[in-house]
Amino acid sequence: MPTPRINRRVWPHLRRAVQYLALLLFLILFIWSRRGGWPAEVVNLPMRLDPLAMLAHLIASRTLLAGSALALITVGLTLLLGRAWCGWLCPLGTLLDLFSFRRLRGKRAAPADGWRRVKHVVLLIILSAALFTNLTLLALDPLTLLFRTLSASVWPAVDQLVTAVETALYRGVPLLRPAVSAFDQVVRPVVLPTEPAFYRFTALYAAVLLGIIALNVIASRFWCRYLCPLGALLGLLSKVGLVRRQVNSSCNACGACARVCPTGTIRADKAYASDPAECTMCLDCLAACPQQAIAFPARFKPAAREAYDPGRRQVLVGLGAAVAGVGLFRANVLARRDHPHLIRPPGARENDLLDKCIRCGECSRACPTSAIQPALSEAGLEGLWTPVLVPRIGYCDYSCHNCGQVCPVQAIPPLSLEEKRSQVIGWAYIDERRCIPWADFEPCIVCEEMCPVPDKAIVLEEVDVLSPDGQPVHVQRPRVVRERCIGCGICEYKCPVNGEAAIRVVVPGRDQA
Amino acid sequence: MPDISRRDMLKWLAAGLGVLGGGWFLRACGLRPERTPVPPRPTGTPVPPTALPTAAPTPPPGEPTPTPAPTATPTATPLPIPDLAVARGGEPAALVRRAVAALGGMERFVRPGDDVIVKPNICVAYHGYEYAATTNPWVVSELVRLCLEAGAGRVRVMDSPFGGSAEQAYAISGIREQVEAAGGTMEIMTSFKFVPADMSMALDLRSCDIYEDVLNADVVISVPIAKHHNLARLTLGMKNLMGVIRDRPAIHRNVGQRLADLTARIRPALTVVDAVRILTANGPTGGNLADVRQLDTIIASPDIVAADAFAGTLFGLRPDELEYVRAAAAMGLGRMDLEGLRIAEV
Repeated sequence: MPTPRINRRVWPHLRRAVQYLALLLFLILFIWSRRGGWPAEVVNLPMRLDPLAMLAHLIASRTLLAGSALALITVGLTLLLGRAWCGWLCPLGTLLDLFSFRRLRGKRAAPADGWRRVKHVVLLIILSAALFTNLTLLALDPLTLLFRTLSASVWPAVDQLVTAVETALYRGVPLLRPAVSAFDQVVRPVVLPTEPAFYRFTALYAAVLLGIIALNVIASRFWCRYLCPLGALLGLLSKVGLVRRQVNSSCNACGACARVCPTGTIRADKAYASDPAECTMCLDCLAACPQQAIAFPARFKPAAREAYDPGRRQVLVGLGAAVAGVGLFRANVLARRDHPHLIRPPGARENDLLDKCIRCGECSRACPTSAIQPALSEAGLEGLWTPVLVPRIGYCDYSCHNCGQVCPVQAIPPLSLEEKRSQVIGWAYIDERRCIPWADFEPCIVCEEMCPVPDKAIVLEEVDVLSPDGQPVHVQRPRVVRERCIGCGICEYKCPVNGEAAIRVVVPGRDQA
Repeated sequence: MPDISRRDMLKWLAAGLGVLGGGWFLRACGLRPERTPVPPRPTGTPVPPTALPTAAPTPPPGEPTPTPAPTATPTATPLPIPDLAVARGGEPAALVRRAVAALGGMERFVRPGDDVIVKPNICVAYHGYEYAATTNPWVVSELVRLCLEAGAGRVRVMDSPFGGSAEQAYAISGIREQVEAAGGTMEIMTSFKFVPADMSMALDLRSCDIYEDVLNADVVISVPIAKHHNLARLTLGMKNLMGVIRDRPAIHRNVGQRLADLTARIRPALTVVDAVRILTANGPTGGNLADVRQLDTIIASPDIVAADAFAGTLFGLRPDELEYVRAAAAMGLGRMDLEGLRIAEV
């Protein structure tokens, strides 16, 4: 029975509605992951729905987490409906549809189909590297990539802009003061930080995302066609997907479907058939076809092999690249001797973080002081964008244990608040050459004052000394009590000495029993 | 999306800048000048307290002081009002009520319609009030209640913690719950409201960004918790004011004089020292119940120097052992000669 025309036209609208809802949900969960108040299992839902991240984690960590079974929902959806995830749900995909640059692109021909292989190679490298317990390239997973960009560049930038506008209006237009004040009281606790949040390399993350969006100028959904490793994985599953696009005999080869296809998989030379591994089930072709020649029936026979599908050669390239990469990473001295400032979130150091971390950035986002930053250099290339605590940017809040709660893969163990409060993440050392009472003979006790440990890991030594000009002075000199210090870093964060603090937290000095 | 020509865009940009510039101009015209610092409210016609510090027996406290009928002759010599009231023994809220009543009631400080800011010490988000790092929630809420009973237009409570977020600290300290139940508002202090204040009266702290609402409020009440602090020795009413400025490390140099300078600028109308539980060591953050002593005491005074000086004695310190008390007394901000003060024990 032919579907009535009006019904077919509705599909793309419905899809767009679902896409926007999914993007909105992703953003809401993103916002709430900082704010707290929602259970961590809800907040990190998108990551646990991601079969690539969960599969790679399973292979690399050799541990099965009950929570990651949620990814089977996405797998099931794909076996049923093909790459509907990409066309209907993926927040990055929706963003790429929103900034499609149709006009800029014009009638330029897309790169040859052979390039679609690249994403398969990326996928194979990720999975092969996972065999060697390496997860570095999960940084290219679309969900982790988008989440990290939102967290470490978009959101802090929005905060700066909103604060600037608020300040300008509040100072500039007295009439607006109550409104600005009320807006701030309502919006800030929910969406923005009370203290400005700072991140390192904000422009870098933005540039990566903008680059991916800009590739749309070459071909629509360039990322999804040629690069996305999650798309590659879901595409391979779609080869045996149940519901697939089919063109029937009423096709008059007008080419309308090929023109609207966002992934360019409808090809005139193949009688306008498509590859289910590339089709995102967007249904634009269904609406565009004037002949009602397109249907999406259920079929059990696997789809035909395409020239760009991964074969022995791609598997070998992936494996080879993974072996070479892992070998080079492991030969880096950082794999043997920690970078002195590679302070990991509570409990992560003892927990083989590198085998587990999927680079999603949930911990960094959940950290109320922005102390947790994506690592760029501290952990070497192998640890790219794994979490590192940077005390000069933020301190590990004594009343917070969000990072371990929100981590979808327990790379940071879910410590209770009590356990976290006694978890040693680093050791503080006073730089006596620059510390105010030590070097300048002037009073300052900020580190001692801020120390949250009940019995104070920083104590003050009362001494009478001679200043350089021979005057007797009484000073209180801070000293660190090693066995009490947990390395939270609030001393370094608050140290009033400009530039580098006069008390610094470094990795724990000796291995702990 | 409708196409916007370059000309249109420039037009809108010019209009927007015009509005902003206009606002700036209006502001320059001084629609609402910052209030010049004024000494605390004159104690004009004080309401005589019901219970005077005549003898040892504790008077019947607890209930709000009924406003006595005005005496027939307004020129009659007023009854002596104590400079400082100390309430001991009982529930925190009742202690506050007794102490404020002994000073002549909240009506002496808050006029109908006033914009009141109550500034407790909520310095960290680490522990509940039992640990005596943050002001007792019932002390704060009772002050909110008294202000509202005196006819305050609105009562806001705020502090900016140094450990943990304000939201979390408000919740964990228990202060948000009690203040909101009493009808007050918790305000999250936001960065754009800190403005450079006129510090011309200061001897050392010549520039300071202070929370604008605190500068503009009709009444500021400082409600510190009495606790140990290694640099200032104790944090009390004057040190509590550090929570409303932007650059706190600046105070750490020459802390005594600078706290006095800050006090000279803010001049709280009333200081209520929460000594229900005091933190005797490892302050200001606390976390060890062994360092907490329960005294069930509230000290109230319009004279912040006297309040701090008296509170110091609870820790065995003479007033002159607190540098900021000495500096503030020298500036004439209050009195530290406890022997010369009229002190009401209620």
